[in-house]
Amino acid sequence: MIRNYFKIALRNLWKHKAFSIINITGLSIGITACFFIFMYVSFELSYDNFHTKADRIYRLVTDIKTPTETINTGVTAWPFAPNIKNDFPEVESFVRISGSSLLVRHGDIKFQEEKSAFADSTFFKVFDFKLLKGDPKTALSAPASVVFTESTAKKYFGNANPIGQTVLVTGDAVPAIVTGLMKDMPENSQIKADMLVSMSSLTQKFNKGLDNQWGNFGATSYLLLKPGANPKTLEAKFPGFIENHNGKERKASQMFYTFFLEPMTSVYLHSKRDGSGASGSITNVYVFGIVAVFILLIACINFVNLTTARSVERAKEVGIRKVVGAEKGQLARQFIGESVVLCLIAFILTILFSVLLLPLFNQLAGKIISPGIFSNWYYVLILLVTSVVIGLVAGIYPALVLSSFKPVVVLKGRFSGGNKGNLLRKTLVISQFTISIALIIGTIIVYTQMDFMQNRDLGFSKDQMLILDTNGDPAADALKQAIATLPGVKSTANSSSIPGGGNPGAYSEIENKKGDLQIANLDLYFVDYDYVNQFKIKMVAGRAFSREFGTDTAQAMLLNEAAIKMFGYSSPQQAIGRRFRQWGREGKIVGVMKDFHFRSLQENIKPLSMRIELKQLGLISVKVSSQNLTATIAAIENKWKVLIPNRPFSYYFLDEFFDRQYRTEQRFGKLFFNFAVLAILISCLGLLGLASYSTLQRTREIGIRKVLGATVPGIVNMLSKDFLILVVLSFVIATPVSWFFMHKWLQDFAYRIDISWWIFALAGILAIVIALATISFQAIKAAMSNPVKSLRSE
Amino acid sequence: MLSLQHVSKYYQVGGLKNFVLNNLSLEVDEGEFISIMGPSGSGKSSLLNIIGMLDEPSEGYHYFVSQAVHQLKERQRSALYKQYIGFVFQAYHLIDELTVAENIETPLIYQDYKGAERKAMVADMLDRFSIVGKKDLFPAQLSGGQQQLVGIARALIAKPKLLLADEPTGNLNSKQGEEIMELFRKLNKEDGVTIIQVTHSEKNAEYGSRIINLLDGRIESSKQL
Repeated sequence: MIRNYFKIALRNLWKHKAFSIINITGLSIGITACFFIFMYVSFELSYDNFHTKADRIYRLVTDIKTPTETINTGVTAWPFAPNIKNDFPEVESFVRISGSSLLVRHGDIKFQEEKSAFADSTFFKVFDFKLLKGDPKTALSAPASVVFTESTAKKYFGNANPIGQTVLVTGDAVPAIVTGLMKDMPENSQIKADMLVSMSSLTQKFNKGLDNQWGNFGATSYLLLKPGANPKTLEAKFPGFIENHNGKERKASQMFYTFFLEPMTSVYLHSKRDGSGASGSITNVYVFGIVAVFILLIACINFVNLTTARSVERAKEVGIRKVVGAEKGQLARQFIGESVVLCLIAFILTILFSVLLLPLFNQLAGKIISPGIFSNWYYVLILLVTSVVIGLVAGIYPALVLSSFKPVVVLKGRFSGGNKGNLLRKTLVISQFTISIALIIGTIIVYTQMDFMQNRDLGFSKDQMLILDTNGDPAADALKQAIATLPGVKSTANSSSIPGGGNPGAYSEIENKKGDLQIANLDLYFVDYDYVNQFKIKMVAGRAFSREFGTDTAQAMLLNEAAIKMFGYSSPQQAIGRRFRQWGREGKIVGVMKDFHFRSLQENIKPLSMRIELKQLGLISVKVSSQNLTATIAAIENKWKVLIPNRPFSYYFLDEFFDRQYRTEQRFGKLFFNFAVLAILISCLGLLGLASYSTLQRTREIGIRKVLGATVPGIVNMLSKDFLILVVLSFVIATPVSWFFMHKWLQDFAYRIDISWWIFALAGILAIVIALATISFQAIKAAMSNPVKSLRSE
Repeated sequence: MLSLQHVSKYYQVGGLKNFVLNNLSLEVDEGEFISIMGPSGSGKSSLLNIIGMLDEPSEGYHYFVSQAVHQLKERQRSALYKQYIGFVFQAYHLIDELTVAENIETPLIYQDYKGAERKAMVADMLDRFSIVGKKDLFPAQLSGGQQQLVGIARALIAKPKLLLADEPTGNLNSKQGEEIMELFRKLNKEDGVTIIQVTHSEKNAEYGSRIINLLDGRIESSKQL
């Protein structure tokens, strides 16, 4: 019996090739999209699960309460974790990690290792990163010990054993011994580094006293609790802990700490705190999860729609089978079986699509979500099971409809199928298009917001600006002087920070409107005299730094508008000449800068201070002319090689650097766009199939109308109208729904577009045009056909 | 073999009962060959459908091999029907996607015959109707007469006691029609199959042992030949 069904199923598919292709392709595309999203989501959810002690590892994070704000940070000061370990027996171990960018040299080979990290010796005990060579207990113990990942070691030593070799690290060429070789860190790890240096190098060599600085935040700390220890109980003991160790200093500085423990496995997706690690977004996971369900739904709806629409054709077969003795149940099983067969073919096609598209998807996602779909055999199994389940579920309704046909009715002459199931079919088409239009609206809004962020006036000039990163080399200033004279270079400036990059937060005391010194945590840029001009930052009061005032180097500060607002000044003028105290310097505020976006547009502009510092400014910004750019860069490189021979030449363009902050959003936008296109594509496939069957059913009517004098446009209009109404209805439903969700999405951006009516209009018109194009092909074909032919066949 | 008593079939059209069969009674004995005649709309096909249990009467009693069909559940009726009745149509109604052999085999599938058994029975039937050479062809590749032959072979494969034929020769030319009628007569005489056919043709009707004339849902006349 099954063989008979199978045969019929295949022959039926073959006989109605167009229908089968539409149906199977739609389904495969849907399942493929879903499968990719599934892989993406499970990858995002898999972060840090590979640590066997993951359930006992917590990230120690801090809320710093200043008189003006509360800073939620993912990092800690160095003394926190070791002292907690000492004080609380339930803490089994701790690891501090501090990301860094280090110059590494071995013979002539030199690289700026931007993803380096200092880590405590317990690193390999707490985490499950695999050490291939070396002793995991001691590899990171002694100062100046280095552990390379495999691919990093290869750059310096090729395939030779790196253990015991010496490399020179930092600009000071400190010799360090390679004590370990580890496997490259997995993609789904919040901790990512190409090279680890023992934490003792930092605390005992490069920055002595760090272990006693309770106000210096820069280490990400992880605590390993003993089995059974309750993190909440521990958290509750922290206020007493900080009071004991550092209470006086906290009170004096007016900066109060609150500690929290974040489970290691929830850091990547759930923590909003900045830290050194990679971070994802649970919202995106939800969004894509929903999109996946939607796409699958659309594909299944197609399937149900097309199959029931075709029931007229299958009606005769049902009638005959019943007449020769088939029971309803047997027929229902046959049709469900057919739908499963169809889904199995779709499954094979899905495998093919997935294999072909996986590299593209990895690229789109910006990371290796999966090296190959067969690398996880259970992925394929899940895919297979999903296909069968879809076949069963989507097959039930058509099977029930088909198997309940009465033979007397269907075998007697013409069977029209009637309007039964028409309402359902319409409802399904509306839901498909509602989803599709909502996705189109979402895509347009995401892209408009991206465009807005990239084109908004940021308040500083970022065009034609080359940034040389000397990583704080002492020769930076000399290099700046040398470059300034090159042809093609318009101007230069040195600074510690540039917009879009990091900068320190400084404990500051600024005279407020009342005349008191008010404590605040201010973002701080160290710059030279030329910086404000170089970036075309506007001054709203006072003056910029100037060489004419010899005291500027020690006693002058610039603030931005956001800062003076925080200190209570109603006009920038009032702030000029007020006192400041910051990081051991005292002086007066000499100017107020107009607010500029030194961070991404997702954040509000924060209070910022700028001070002159003529040494140790690692970043050289070079305004270049657009002509002969290559030659200019080559000339700059030559100067670099002469003045900073120890470091590899490193430069980038400021505009690209700044836009890199939006990489996640851009990726999100691209993925969203792709899935929206897929949803529309599948919906249109369904519409195409439905339209072709509906016109087929109305062939006779069209023939009669033509005989009676209907024109081709009139008939096309008649046939298209029914479907267009559905699309318009979908639009009406999709508009408020998508407005609601996209409005929410936009709340993540401090600077955002208004959702204006044209976005909806555009999406609506787009959907109608696409739908019309899909339907009209069929409609025109039907309208052009010769009525004699269609009527004769009756 | 079967008995219809005071059977009516009507459709409700705007509050009015539109009778297709009106208080009709009929007795059929085993081994009869009955031809039902009458003008279009006289209820011939409806009568046949009710006898064949494809349709239910609105009123009346229906007995088949001494079982009260009007009291049976769908499933029991289906079982009864499967075992005893074969159907032949004017439009042949073969399944287009199946070959000749597969079409003939279909009823056996629903009666749970084993694969080997089915094969043997199909081969036997193909042989008997001299269509062995056509067994792998699809219906569209056959002439009308050949298709009807397949239709009859299919109706007979499960060895029914009663064969119902709704204008079996209506789409055929006269020569093909005659062949089919000869076949019916042979089935009736040699195999003892009870046959009820609906026909428009006087000539074909005379192959039967009794002719029933219907008019407006009633038996107008019944003539034993």
